[in-house]
Amino acid sequence: MADDEDGKEYRWETGYEKTWEAIKEDDGGLLEASVAEEVAAQRAKQRRLLAQRQHELWGGVRLGMMRHLYVIVDFSDAMADQDLKPTRYLCTMKLLEHFIEEFFDQNPISQMGIIITRNKRAEKICELSGNPRKHIKAREISGHVVQQLAKQAWNGGGEPSLQNALELAHSFLKLLPPHASREVLVLMGSLTTCDPGDINTTIESLRKVGIRSSVIGLAAEVHVCKRLARVTGGDFSVALDDTHFRELLLQQVLPPPAATTTSSGVAPPTTVDASLVKMGFPQHHVSGHLDAKDDSEDTIAARNSSGGYFCPQCCSKYCELPVECRACGLALVSAPHLARSYHHLFPVAPFTELPFSKDLGAVSCHACLYHFKNTDKMCYRCETCHQIFCLECDLFIHDVMHVCPGCSSNQRTYGIAGSGSGEIGTSTPSSFGPLGASLASVNYFGGWCSFIYLI
Amino acid sequence: MGDEIESSLLVIVIDTNPSQRIVREGSQILTQCLDSVIAFANSHLMMKCSNKLAIIACHNHASKFLYPPSSDDEIGEDGDVRNAQQIDGQYEVFTHVERTVRRNIQRLIAFGDQELPDIHENRITGAVNSLGGDSLLAGALAMALCYIHRIEKDIPPSTKVNSRILVVTASGDSASQYMNYMNVFFTAQKRNIVIDVCSLDQEPGLLQQGCDITGGLYLRIPQIQGLLQYLLWVFLSDPPIRKKLVLPPPVKVDYRAACFCHRELIDIGYVCSVCLSIFCKFSPICTTCHTVFKTPAPLPLKVKKKRIKLS
Repeated sequence: MADDEDGKEYRWETGYEKTWEAIKEDDGGLLEASVAEEVAAQRAKQRRLLAQRQHELWGGVRLGMMRHLYVIVDFSDAMADQDLKPTRYLCTMKLLEHFIEEFFDQNPISQMGIIITRNKRAEKICELSGNPRKHIKAREISGHVVQQLAKQAWNGGGEPSLQNALELAHSFLKLLPPHASREVLVLMGSLTTCDPGDINTTIESLRKVGIRSSVIGLAAEVHVCKRLARVTGGDFSVALDDTHFRELLLQQVLPPPAATTTSSGVAPPTTVDASLVKMGFPQHHVSGHLDAKDDSEDTIAARNSSGGYFCPQCCSKYCELPVECRACGLALVSAPHLARSYHHLFPVAPFTELPFSKDLGAVSCHACLYHFKNTDKMCYRCETCHQIFCLECDLFIHDVMHVCPGCSSNQRTYGIAGSGSGEIGTSTPSSFGPLGASLASVNYFGGWCSFIYLI
Repeated sequence: MGDEIESSLLVIVIDTNPSQRIVREGSQILTQCLDSVIAFANSHLMMKCSNKLAIIACHNHASKFLYPPSSDDEIGEDGDVRNAQQIDGQYEVFTHVERTVRRNIQRLIAFGDQELPDIHENRITGAVNSLGGDSLLAGALAMALCYIHRIEKDIPPSTKVNSRILVVTASGDSASQYMNYMNVFFTAQKRNIVIDVCSLDQEPGLLQQGCDITGGLYLRIPQIQGLLQYLLWVFLSDPPIRKKLVLPPPVKVDYRAACFCHRELIDIGYVCSVCLSIFCKFSPICTTCHTVFKTPAPLPLKVKKKRIKLS
């Protein structure tokens, strides 16, 4: 079998794990210390994963920044199972809502659509659409999407059809321009699929168009799903429980590398092409009685007001950005939308882990004043500004903020914060893209910021 | 509802950079600002006994916490609230805030003077570092967010903390911090942290954007003598209460982009799909990331039909 290549053991083939033995009582008969240790270990693991991803980024991987994602949700009978609480279906809905929110937060100029499959058929519930709401309004769309999904009343879903759903996604995604990163994410509860033809041809056609398909299984590993993911360069994983499921979903939030080679060696022939995309940057005209903030609250009122964003090409009016002009098809964005994605391109260089000792010259975290205690074994140092941080801040800086507080408040380093000058940057001079040799990116960075900066 | 204790955490970022215009013109201005900010901070603490406070100074060489006192300090005679003695019947915490802030700012400025020649040297040697004296507010804001993150993580489960940041500055912006600013603003927005800005002198466009993004208030005060009044009237209330007050209207913020090639503000531009840099004309190679774009025969046509309508 082709599956044996990856050499990973199945869970049932590994040794028996005695998870309870990790928890030990301390001298006072308390569990707290070991629980705290356990928590620390978890955080450390989280940090490692983060660092690993960042390391990959420094390696000069190009990202597919303009994502077009179809989420295929299984709505079959298998989703009524109660192994995820309260049911797989409800659990998926809840997590999906969070996923959509995060997705639009992290990928502001991307688009997402939803397809469901049941009764051997596939239906499209939501068109591919960008974020029609400004700023934090992603929550509203996700609520809207979930409502629409809930409207598809749960009426005994029958069997799913993976092939039909993939064909449907394929028919929409193949029409997209070559610079778009095309993706499919399948949330599969069922172990079976009822298909009209040979699914392998569908998988092959997906691969040809360069649609990256990832599958998250809720039940168990299915050969077809795994093959689908492997051939098209996606990820395949099976959720163990709801927290693991959530983690797996959130992994899909990050833009995938638009890499030309995959580790499995089966490279999709067409990946994302680079191209220049024409975009409009409309100005907001306030001339009505309503100001910009009210617009997003109440679309009806905005429609009647005279203020709004006017398409620079055809002068159609919109109350929110980003949007695709309905009249002339121009993508309308504002500069901060683009800026929201920049942190993927200029990540903060990973900090060095150091055993904490008094001679490091700091007894508290530079950013949050956290006073290191005896129980804290590790502290983290930024190699650019040489400040010491605690684990919590390290995670926060790399995961959420993407700015090193030390570098950005130092006259010598603030310009290179984010584009880093750590050893990783210099070790990849051959890399192309925005993550190139550190020196080039530093110059580019400084100059470029001043250009994009507005009024 | 009744059981939940709500408190509000205010982080004040005060720009103490000596290269600000108003500070250069009159050195007593800084003292005056500091007095006002301390009075304002104490008023915030007075609103509710559970309210929390942090003050960060953004100096030209570094940003430092003025309050709470960092544990690096030798905990001296007034390093701890409990040691602070009542003076003239003043609430001990107020005395503590004032003393800590004054002592830390003295230390910061004295330390800055030692470092200063170095920075001047930089300015002379490299024209690159012409922004040498800029206030690095983005860094101070990043520290504020880290601090808020920790406080919110450490609070007991039955309490709730509403956090906000107030920036008091007299400097304009430096475009070179664009990315840092934006990352900070988006983080604040995500965490529901409001960023208010009180500008004493110039019109910092980037900070205005930050206020707009996070839903904070922006105010440029016409008279520096009235700083305390403006602070108390406009910025003391918590964001939920602000809806009920008559406050200065939001400023109009321009979000248009400028192209990378000619530095011109543009309405329609071309965006590189790899690095998202903006150009005003089509070029076959991206000058920033050196990506070669596919150039199908008739260029403009290909670019125009970039998206296909579905439906």
